Amino acid sequence: MVDSLLTIGEKAVKLAEKLGADQAEVYLAQSRSFEIEAENNAIKGASESKDAGIGIRTIIDKKIGFAYVTTLDDSDIEEAVNHSLSLARASIPDPDFHTLPESLSNYQNAKGLFDKEIHDMTAEVTAELIIRAIDATKQVLDGYNYAIEAGVQSSSSMNAIVNSLGIAKTEPRTSISIYSYPIIKADDDQTASYEYQISRKFNEIDPEWVGRSAGRLAIGFLHPKIIEGGEMPVVFAPLGASAVLSRGFADAVNAEEVQMGRSYIADAFGEKIASEKLEIVDDGLLPGGIGTRSFDAEGFPSQRTSVIENGILKSLLHNSYTANKDRVDNTGNASRPSYSGLPGISTTNFMVSPGKGDLNTFISELDTGVVCRNTGDRPNMTTGDLSAMIIEGYYVKNGEVQHPLKNTLIGINMRDLLKRISHVGNDSRATFSMITPSIVVERANVTSG
Amino acid sequence: MEDLAQTAIEAALKTGAHFADVRIENTATTIIELNDGVSKQSLSSRLKGAGIRAFIDGAWAFAQTTDLTKSGMRTTGESVAKMAIATKEKVAEKFEIEGPSFQARSHYKVKKPFSKIAIEEKMAFVKAIDDQARDYDTRISSTRTIYGDLWTELYLANSLGTNVYTQNSIPRIISAPTAKEGTNRQRVFKSLGVRGGYEIMDEEEAQNIGTAAAELVIDLLSSTSVKGGVYNVVMDPILNGVMIHEAFGHAVEADNWPAHATVLEDKIGMQVGPENLSISDDPTLEGMRGSYEYDWEGTKTKKRLLVKEGILTDLLHSLETASRLDLEPNGASRSQSFMHEPLPRMSNTFMEPGDWEVEELVQDTKKGILLCSFNYGYTQTAKGQFMFQASHGYLIENGEKGQMVRDVSLAGNILEVLAKVDAIGNDFMLDAGTCGKNGQAVPTMTGGPHARIREVPVGGM
Repeated sequence: MVDSLLTIGEKAVKLAEKLGADQAEVYLAQSRSFEIEAENNAIKGASESKDAGIGIRTIIDKKIGFAYVTTLDDSDIEEAVNHSLSLARASIPDPDFHTLPESLSNYQNAKGLFDKEIHDMTAEVTAELIIRAIDATKQVLDGYNYAIEAGVQSSSSMNAIVNSLGIAKTEPRTSISIYSYPIIKADDDQTASYEYQISRKFNEIDPEWVGRSAGRLAIGFLHPKIIEGGEMPVVFAPLGASAVLSRGFADAVNAEEVQMGRSYIADAFGEKIASEKLEIVDDGLLPGGIGTRSFDAEGFPSQRTSVIENGILKSLLHNSYTANKDRVDNTGNASRPSYSGLPGISTTNFMVSPGKGDLNTFISELDTGVVCRNTGDRPNMTTGDLSAMIIEGYYVKNGEVQHPLKNTLIGINMRDLLKRISHVGNDSRATFSMITPSIVVERANVTSG
Repeated sequence: MEDLAQTAIEAALKTGAHFADVRIENTATTIIELNDGVSKQSLSSRLKGAGIRAFIDGAWAFAQTTDLTKSGMRTTGESVAKMAIATKEKVAEKFEIEGPSFQARSHYKVKKPFSKIAIEEKMAFVKAIDDQARDYDTRISSTRTIYGDLWTELYLANSLGTNVYTQNSIPRIISAPTAKEGTNRQRVFKSLGVRGGYEIMDEEEAQNIGTAAAELVIDLLSSTSVKGGVYNVVMDPILNGVMIHEAFGHAVEADNWPAHATVLEDKIGMQVGPENLSISDDPTLEGMRGSYEYDWEGTKTKKRLLVKEGILTDLLHSLETASRLDLEPNGASRSQSFMHEPLPRMSNTFMEPGDWEVEELVQDTKKGILLCSFNYGYTQTAKGQFMFQASHGYLIENGEKGQMVRDVSLAGNILEVLAKVDAIGNDFMLDAGTCGKNGQAVPTMTGGPHARIREVPVGGM
């Protein structure tokens, strides 16, 4: 498989050059994923998807075209190369485009990306994991009227990047995720919660923990109430912190958004933009990390980039285009949605460095305030204004959780949120988009009704 | 394609499946994006492949393949049936898939097929819109214009005898400029998405979308953040549609019934809103982005009157949910592509108009907030909690539209909010959207008239 992806890639690059491209880049991906789903406490279905495709970027006189196809057939690839070139020819030149990245010698091999156990996972093993998670949730919910949804997904993939400047890289990766989502019906109320785990290693998955945690959380969200609003502290549990920081801050340090003037962090390079407690690192080489890879989506070497140190903005996240445009070093943050898109910019393993204390300590130290376990919201990236519904959260008084919340929103500008971080915990966990502990924001506007 | 589909279905049945279906797709898309007059993205794609499902005794299995040969279809048909059989031991509830079958060749005619328009012509149109937004005002600091078109051919077949060929054609144009005045920066997103061919881009609304977006973003420079609190809210048709979609539509997707995952589970045939409230989902509307003749299981679609005069009357069904709830399927099962399993989804969802003049609605509100257009929204149907955000709005003081405000969020509970709708306008409009569920995005439209909700929490800075 390794050879064939690179060979197909090299052939496509050559074809593009022959047909008139100044430079060409091919991204190929081949993956197999397996998923089992359960609803109402029992397995419902399984699915297997085998996906393979190719995306071709061509450049003619600083004009860029891109085409992809969901097969690896010769004739389809030829059609895609031709489409890519005709799109390049019809495009408007981008004076800021300099070049595709060149092949470098400083690649470090990322560790812990591939687990044979996941690659070889059978339907039986997958089914067993999901049943263990459901059983664990059931035990916790004994005596309640419940319906549990759950799922396990495993994936094994290989990607390859080949370009005109000598880059020819390929790497295999595996991942597995599991969740339990119990719904509880009480006489006069209905609620739900969930827990999940994602990892590149099979033996890091703990279905019993996922199941128990989901059940306990769901019980805790029964009979929510509204509260009297006002300014108060907000404790973000790791999932909530991840929602706010990954959606609300990672995009703000995306160099493309900054260059286009669309980020609320503009011209703040080297300035103090956050509390001294906050340190954020983007580490593309973290062993076994979900965002880890030896090279980015353009084949550029991965690295560890300090984003915020002692509250000071140290670096933006770049791909080759934005780095060339700003004449700074590429940070290796090119990313793309598999073969089906052009490289944008995203985080790798975006990590808040741990501090002291955890969610329980922060709650016990709170006079009056709210806990946000999670939110689905994102700020206006241009103004930084964030209005977030506490989709799962609690009201705290005198250091104790009083009751769960409903119809409650937090309002704060991201610039203020970053500066008002008074505590950073040590209860870090991996979410789908970050690794972060709990954090405390000393005051925000809370509305409830 | 018919032969290939039959090969897969026969292979699955022979292996032991009780039901099997196949979706074979051939889709071509184009995306052209300019930022500040320069090409950012010139993309074309081709999606070619088949999605195959097998079913036995309550157990489903799904697989996709891009190997569109007889042997490829046979192999996938067999392996998906084996997967279903292996899963069957572990299911809790046994049922069968039943339903009517459909045979049709449904050709969707457009005046100007996308494939007949030169890429240069599309590029020139996008450039004109991008220039239009930039030339509107010197305070426009950055422009972004995106054109997209999608042409799909879909062949659907199942072991009940369904055998349907269908086509779809949807273009979209988006203008998203940023404006700057001192340190104050604002951005907007304005889009036009309907069903049809390239001729849609010749219409006035498409031709002027850059100016319309620029005008709005310049206005936003003088907007303020809203103060959080409980407000009487008048929603414009676009935001009303988003409210209906998030606060209600997702909760009537019938896959929530077997999963016990909606707060409306026990409400069929019961009052869920005031008597003047009716809500529909209608994929048969002509020229709408969420419209289609046959769903992704090959079922012929029809209009669904979800709420009639306050009573919950209908749900959004797939073959499975209709079989399990012993009802007729109504053609609401959709997939993002052949790579995804079909799920009950919305199409064009809206509140039916009432009898209030829009001006009266604002005057009568005295003190409150008029919310317009939207940024995004989401919901958790099992809990009944939802939220959505208006892109802008206007404070209502003494019955008059006043200060412009921006990014206004509204949170609520599905069972509580519909009861608070107390006045419905006599106007009507639908707006383009894209709906996400289980990682699948499908084109939709949402809308309705202006309408008022009493006393809902609005988030503030």
